[in-house]
Amino acid sequence: MADPAVASGGPLNAGARGSAGKATSSPAENYLLARRRTLQVVVSALLTESGFESAEKAAVETLTEMLQSYITEIGRCAKAYCEHTARSVPTLSDTVVTLIEMVTNAPVTPKALSAGQKRTHPAHIPSHFPEFPDPHTYIKTPTFREPVSDYQVVREKAATQRRDVERALTRFIAKTGETQSLFKDDITTFPLIAAQPSTIPYLSALLPSELELQALEETDSSEQDDQTDGENTAGNAITDDPGADKENSMLPPSGVVPSTKASEDNVIDNPYLRPVKKPKVRRKK
Amino acid sequence: MNRKKDKGFESPRPFKLTHQVVCINNINFQRKSVIGYVELTIFPTVVNLNRIKLNSKQCRIYRVRVNDLEAPFLYNDPTLEVCHHESKQRNLNYFSSAYTAAVSAVDPDAGHGELVIKVPSELWKQGDDLKVLKVYIEFSLDQPKGGLHFVVPDVEGSMAERGAHVFSFGYQNSTRFWFPCVDSYSELCTWKLEFTVDASMVAVSCGDLVETIYTHDMRKKTFHYVLPIPTAAPNISLAVGPFEILVDPYMHEVTHFCLPQLLPLLKHSMSYLHEIFEFYEEILTCRYPYSCFKTVFVDEAYVQVSSYASMSIFSTNLLHSAMIIDQTPQTRRCLAQALAQQFFGCFISRMSWADEWVLKGISGYIYGLYLKKTFGVNEYRHWIKEELDKIVEYELKMGGVLLHPTFSGGKEKDNPTPHLHFSIKHPHTLSWEYYKMFQCKAHLVMRLIENRISMEFMLQVFNKLLSLASTASSQKYQSHMWSQMLLSTHAFLKSISNVSGKDIGPLIKQWVDQSSVVKFFGSFAFNRKRNVLELEIRQDYTSSGTQKYVGPIKVTVQELDGSFNHMLQIEENSLKHDIPCHSKSRRNKKKKIPLMNGEEVDMDLSAMDADSPLLWIRIDPDMSILRKVEFEQADFMWQYQLRYERDVVAQEEAISALEKFPTPASRLALTDILEQEQCFYKVRMQACFCLAKIANAMVSTWQGPPAMKSLFTRMFCCKSCPNIVKTNNFINFQSYFLQKTMPVAMALLRDGQNICPKDVLNFILDLIKYNDNRKNKFSDNYYRADLIEALTNSLTPAMSINNEVRTVDNLNADVRLILEEITRFLNMEKLLPSFRNTITISCLRAIRQLQKNGHIPSDPSLFKSYAQYGHFVDLRIAALEALVDYTRVERSSAELQWLLSMAQNDPVHYVRHKILGMLCKNPPFTKTTDSALCNEALVDQLWKFMNSGTSHDWRLRCDAVNLYYMLFGLTRPSCLPLPELGLVLNLKEKKAVLNPTIKPELGVGAFNTMEDEDIDMETVHDSQAFIHHHLNLLERPSTPGTHTHTHTHTHTHTHTLPNPLHKHMAEHRRATSTGHLGHY
Repeated sequence: MADPAVASGGPLNAGARGSAGKATSSPAENYLLARRRTLQVVVSALLTESGFESAEKAAVETLTEMLQSYITEIGRCAKAYCEHTARSVPTLSDTVVTLIEMVTNAPVTPKALSAGQKRTHPAHIPSHFPEFPDPHTYIKTPTFREPVSDYQVVREKAATQRRDVERALTRFIAKTGETQSLFKDDITTFPLIAAQPSTIPYLSALLPSELELQALEETDSSEQDDQTDGENTAGNAITDDPGADKENSMLPPSGVVPSTKASEDNVIDNPYLRPVKKPKVRRKK
Repeated sequence: MNRKKDKGFESPRPFKLTHQVVCINNINFQRKSVIGYVELTIFPTVVNLNRIKLNSKQCRIYRVRVNDLEAPFLYNDPTLEVCHHESKQRNLNYFSSAYTAAVSAVDPDAGHGELVIKVPSELWKQGDDLKVLKVYIEFSLDQPKGGLHFVVPDVEGSMAERGAHVFSFGYQNSTRFWFPCVDSYSELCTWKLEFTVDASMVAVSCGDLVETIYTHDMRKKTFHYVLPIPTAAPNISLAVGPFEILVDPYMHEVTHFCLPQLLPLLKHSMSYLHEIFEFYEEILTCRYPYSCFKTVFVDEAYVQVSSYASMSIFSTNLLHSAMIIDQTPQTRRCLAQALAQQFFGCFISRMSWADEWVLKGISGYIYGLYLKKTFGVNEYRHWIKEELDKIVEYELKMGGVLLHPTFSGGKEKDNPTPHLHFSIKHPHTLSWEYYKMFQCKAHLVMRLIENRISMEFMLQVFNKLLSLASTASSQKYQSHMWSQMLLSTHAFLKSISNVSGKDIGPLIKQWVDQSSVVKFFGSFAFNRKRNVLELEIRQDYTSSGTQKYVGPIKVTVQELDGSFNHMLQIEENSLKHDIPCHSKSRRNKKKKIPLMNGEEVDMDLSAMDADSPLLWIRIDPDMSILRKVEFEQADFMWQYQLRYERDVVAQEEAISALEKFPTPASRLALTDILEQEQCFYKVRMQACFCLAKIANAMVSTWQGPPAMKSLFTRMFCCKSCPNIVKTNNFINFQSYFLQKTMPVAMALLRDGQNICPKDVLNFILDLIKYNDNRKNKFSDNYYRADLIEALTNSLTPAMSINNEVRTVDNLNADVRLILEEITRFLNMEKLLPSFRNTITISCLRAIRQLQKNGHIPSDPSLFKSYAQYGHFVDLRIAALEALVDYTRVERSSAELQWLLSMAQNDPVHYVRHKILGMLCKNPPFTKTTDSALCNEALVDQLWKFMNSGTSHDWRLRCDAVNLYYMLFGLTRPSCLPLPELGLVLNLKEKKAVLNPTIKPELGVGAFNTMEDEDIDMETVHDSQAFIHHHLNLLERPSTPGTHTHTHTHTHTHTHTLPNPLHKHMAEHRRATSTGHLGHY
């Protein structure tokens, strides 16, 4: 491990120097010095480990300088990669890519961290390409929750939901409006919305509600009344019956027969559709 | 009236009406008033015609002119107050005879009328030459209580924007309520009708709309109608409103009218009408007689359907959208009824009241043919059975219904129906229920005639009658042909004998000239030695409503060898009939068994009696006698009949019979029928209820899940999760009706403790919970309403401890669940109302049931709020029904008063009618029970109501009479002071009235009594002078001096308020009735 570090120290000199110069000008010199000392200890330890009994101060300094610039470059580069992918904290892979970039062999992942059997390259991929990562990084494990497709549950849920909505809605209306009660002592448990007489009761009782009409349109949107003239629809708030016959020209509810007859050829001759005559100056019979 | 002599029609009047003009110049919706005039063109048929009697009620008459000469007149309506106010008589017999006399006194069929016009003497001489007289009458109506009904919603905007409308209505001949006329079905004339209405309104009336002309200020327009076909006044009608107009896409001469915003419903509901037209025209081989037809749908209708010449007025509640299943057949039936009456009833009119049955019979009969064609033979036979059961039940309960009453001499002793508390001499004295049964019987009798002479001949007869009438209708009056358009019993029977060559005399005598039905009891024994079926048919002809039948009867015997018909003769003393059997018992041979319809089926014969070859026996299977049959045969025979007989009537009879045999075999037969899809759905529905009854009777031995549960699950629930019902899909109507019915029947199941099993209740609650209509083409409102009904059926009386007060806390857990559903449904309905508010109606019934069973406190206030004017009419009726029930159960005098005051004052005639009808059906007390409610004040109130409070509505008055009968019976009510005193009152009427201690306390009665005490001398003096004057007028020729007097006097009428006016009229009547009685 020490060897490559020492061998590849050279090319990084320039950068390391720059940073060292910057460091001297910074006020927190103590920290710098402390780091440098730590690095010197590390270099010395490495040298000792490699079998050197003593080393010149200048050599140690140079080696320390190389080590520092190397580490600095890794940090800078990893940070750049990390920011490139819009992150703020570098990850291991950033560092790995950095090391590859710096034409060093990527550090072998420690055994303790690798898991599973790595895939070998297929035939069409040259062997110099990086290895596959650990399988767990790309293999997906199908662990979805069973979507609620069980009929019973769906129905149950729909029913409960509707009931809850209805109850909440009616309770709300009952709370905000007048109510009647079946019990004299307790008027809140079963509140009934008070019966309000209406002026034209047959309309609401006979006409389908908009909700029902909507549902009907959804189930049967086959035929549409394509012939409607603007005047008539204006006077008629209710949407037309889908199966309505086209032959019928509707009349506005006011009963005023339009003096302009429908433009079709097959005009229906019905006395109620004829225009109203102007009064003549004659006595009524 | 007498059918022997009425070869040609003899008018009871000394003149003949040929043409009438009705012109209504002004209709004021704000004040609910009408102003107009009529002009009658008459031909005197006697020399010296000096009086003309016309009908007119509640009209205020300003002037009468005959050929431009002012004519004096007398307006006298004895039906305003039937019994003299001073009388303390409270016995219904007395009232009925007085009422009949009053109606007779103005009966147009006898030539009488309320309005007597003195023909000016100048015109008498003209009478010698039998020249035309033109009678011109100016009149007005102010807030009419009958005849015309104004619907004016109380909202902002113009009358048209508010949907205000007015229409004519009435029971039988009631046209006199809205214009002076000869209010008889037998007085035909041509018509010119003119109505000037607001420019935003449409006036729909009889005949052809010739033109519509604006008035000079362009704010109004006048609708001119001409009806060239001679028509009786009762068949004239009018409807004015801001109607939306729909020209029928298939028949351009047919126009439909509905109230604003309902056009889409109108389009859908009317899309079927042309088929009914085609059907009738085809079977009658006759064109629709009028040149146009109009249907008008109005709110607050008096009846669902009323037919007039060339138009019909319907209740707006018959309109429906394409999403509604249950209403569709009902609306179509109403249309078909209306159209049938166009031919028979409007175009062909009756000669006299005694001939009414012919017209009702024919229109009902051809309506039945339409039912058969459209809804199928099963539906038709089911309907016939239903109608037959109805009439039999009514006659056995109330006494006979007489179709063709003859009144020889008109003496009270000859009353043909002494069992009734009303007279059947006039349509206006009949109870409504009786009239409905009358119509029902009439069409059943027509069917009997058809059975006798074949349908082909029957239709030929109708065609002949129609062609005669059409020929006559196109003739001028002078040709004296118009009476051909009147149909009498005699003419009808003659036509039948001409066409068919058959004598149907005995049939007519039995069912038309006599009232009552036949009641048979049948039983049998099989004589193995002789291989003979010994059938015994007994009759009950002694109890009320029954008559003796002598004649042929058909008996069908299903044997192993096949089905055999036997015609037996019912004779005076023979009860037993021996019928030889064809097959020895040969069950060993595996052979298919032939049925009546030729089908051959395999049967499991193990249930049979080993010695007998009989499978089942039916008496009068074709319903060719108006009868009730109680037949005894073994349970297995009923089961075979249910399974294998193909006639729905037989199946229904078998189901009713099986109720008495709660055995596993009956259960199996019923379940099989329920599952059989080829079986008629109404039979299957009936089987549901029978199965519930059987299951309850077998509760200790019942095996398996509750009845019908597994069946319902199999048919309507999801395969994967059987506790969840499928999402609604009502495309198959048969299974829709079954799906609706089964829960209702299941809820009637009871366990050993006589409560509804927990499974069943939960099952129904789940049906409600999982109900999902989102994917359905049809509305599920009736289905949901039935599910609530099922919840109601599951209720049983609450366990009460020490009569504690019902509170929320001590509510039973099941009831709490039910109540929660009801609350939610009721509240949701406020936000999303269902069609015809069916769900709210079911909820109200459920709440009443909860109250009655002691689960929640009994309280009428909720029902009262729903009964108010302004709710949908069905809803009001349901609420009123609950209130009537409350009144009976709680014996509440306050609620009874509340109901009675609504019956007197409600704006909707139908509601008033229904209140009295429901009180009759579910009376707070009866003549046989004692009740604190029965007191003198109530007697007086009801008496006053029927005596004078209902003079504007015949139907309502008869309803009130019915109620009085129900509560107090025919004789003097028991709650009144001692009968001795009453007797004294009768003998010394005048003196007793003067006694102030027994003076009636309320209203008009008190007012009039005071008058009699001569407190207001001047009034009495004045009116008496007036009456004397008029009486004199009638006796001698008028002079110019009397003219002016009459005129001024009538003028004062116009300025008086309605109440004093009525008082005046009552005065006239009282004073003149003695004089009149001399004439009649």
